[in-house]
Amino acid sequence: MRTLTSLLGHEVETESGRRIGRCHDLRGEIRGSRLVVTGLVVGIRGVAEHFGLGGRGSKPTHVPWDAVVKIDGERFVVRDGTELE
Amino acid sequence: MNKIFSLALGILAAIGGFVDIGDLVFNVSAGATFGYQLLWVVVIGVVGIITYSEMCGRVAAVSGKAVFDVVRERMGFRVGLFALISAQVVNLMTLTAEVGGVAICLQLLVGLPYRWLIVIAGIALAIVVWVTSFDWIERIFGYGGLCLLVFAVAAFKLHPVWGAVGHGFVPHLDTKSPLLYAYFTVGLLGAAMTPYEVYFYSSGVVEEQWGPKDLGLNKANAIIGYALGGFLSFALMIVGGSLFLDKGLEPGFLGSIALGTEVPLGQIGLLLGIVGILFAVGGAAIDTLFSGAYNMAQFLGWEWGRYRHPSGAPRFTLTWIVLLVLALGAVLTGVDPVQLTEYAVIFSAVALPLTYIPILLVANDRTYMREYRNGRVANTVGLIYVAVIMVIAVSAIPLMILTNVGQN
Amino acid sequence: MTDTLDLGLNVLDHQLLDRDERRCGKVDDLALEGGPGEELVVTAILSGPDVWRRRSRFLGRLAAWIGRGGRHRVPWEEVEMVGPHVQLKRAAKELGLGAGDDRLRPFFERIPGSDR
Repeated sequence: MRTLTSLLGHEVETESGRRIGRCHDLRGEIRGSRLVVTGLVVGIRGVAEHFGLGGRGSKPTHVPWDAVVKIDGERFVVRDGTELE
Repeated sequence: MNKIFSLALGILAAIGGFVDIGDLVFNVSAGATFGYQLLWVVVIGVVGIITYSEMCGRVAAVSGKAVFDVVRERMGFRVGLFALISAQVVNLMTLTAEVGGVAICLQLLVGLPYRWLIVIAGIALAIVVWVTSFDWIERIFGYGGLCLLVFAVAAFKLHPVWGAVGHGFVPHLDTKSPLLYAYFTVGLLGAAMTPYEVYFYSSGVVEEQWGPKDLGLNKANAIIGYALGGFLSFALMIVGGSLFLDKGLEPGFLGSIALGTEVPLGQIGLLLGIVGILFAVGGAAIDTLFSGAYNMAQFLGWEWGRYRHPSGAPRFTLTWIVLLVLALGAVLTGVDPVQLTEYAVIFSAVALPLTYIPILLVANDRTYMREYRNGRVANTVGLIYVAVIMVIAVSAIPLMILTNVGQN
Repeated sequence: MTDTLDLGLNVLDHQLLDRDERRCGKVDDLALEGGPGEELVVTAILSGPDVWRRRSRFLGRLAAWIGRGGRHRVPWEEVEMVGPHVQLKRAAKELGLGAGDDRLRPFFERIPGSDR
């Protein structure tokens, strides 16, 4: 079992080692009676969003869950070529 | 008509309820030390408490979240728990000082031994809280606290030099002890913006189930109530300045604060002054008592509420009982309430950022606040006060040490 | 409220309300299942002093010790709605929540005036 608090704060890097930022939150979607994770909230604007200050402008803050290749210790590794959306 | 009437009642209660032992001690001793020089600080403090109490009331009305719900959601468990513990320590110190203040007033009125009166004060508070409905508690202590208006009359009767009073509203530094000046500035701001006021107020808004339609009432309450409370603070400082400055007297005892009304108004003035202090401090004791229980329950997710009967919110009830017992025990050790008040106000200044920053954050949250979120004015003023609060929080304890708790 | 939400911001540390609007704990953590390459799904709300241990090293453990352990797992299917608070479908008692208040209630009920 994973817990939310054990996933928050991890670094997010691509497979070739490029750092994208830190994961401040997990974005989810309620589908019927299920709550499915759709992405990682990352970066400076991600911090703002984590404190509830987002919503303005459309700067990218999030990495889709599909791009995550593995969770390696305290690190999310995402596919090469992944950018914030 | 009924609404205006209830607003008026609320405001009357707020005037009596604004002033607590911290305001009494700091305003009168600031007057005794610096005359009218620090009146401008009260204005800054009052605008600060108006801003944040309106904000936390609005958050509570729109989202149903009270202050410690918000602290935990925004600051997380770790920082939130730290905030809770510091708030509880400060709260308990304040409660202890207020209970001691009640006992001192009773002693001045009836003359029984102080220790007996502490126990009587404690039992009386417990009974009042247990059997009286909250509307009545607010009315009794609010209206009783209105006797403090006698200080306003006294301020006039003492014929202060009005030019000097007016000059006090303009920030200026005319003293050989700037450190002491800074210490009193911090203390006056801390006393005016005491965090328990927002804990108590926001929880009340949730309990009364206010919604967006009550936001006008919320704003009126904050502005009028605190502005008039600030007016009482002016009066206290003017009395302190007219009576004690240059006489080498220090109002180190609660009874000498009441002297401020005896000199110009005689026995009646003294009586009204003491009764006013008794109710103001007693009401504040109940507010702090409940604030401690609110904070605990909101942080941990327990059922809470003063309108629920005690068995409807058992852990909340147990918390305030424990707090009252601890405070009584502390007063019985013989600690000086006035001295303790100074420490409580200074430490509360340190805890201010952890209370006010989360409120400012949530007040900007689109998801919960929708069209009722902060506008530009509230945010600008709110941010200025965050800066003010940070400066106070960092400097409060060094200043306390450097000035030997305002002694030199 | 939209059906997109941030777990840390909109769910974690929020108030739990049962079917009867009774406050019955906080969302102290969320349990998730799945991982990279597959779906990651929230399976349960974790609540209770035992969960605090992982939230803060020193103070959390101290608080957990004072709170005498206890950890409740509420399956995500029991969630009625996520709004300003997290509303559950059933009564707190059926979900094992709010037991601290329930244990204490009989003591207060014996004191006159406790049900005014």
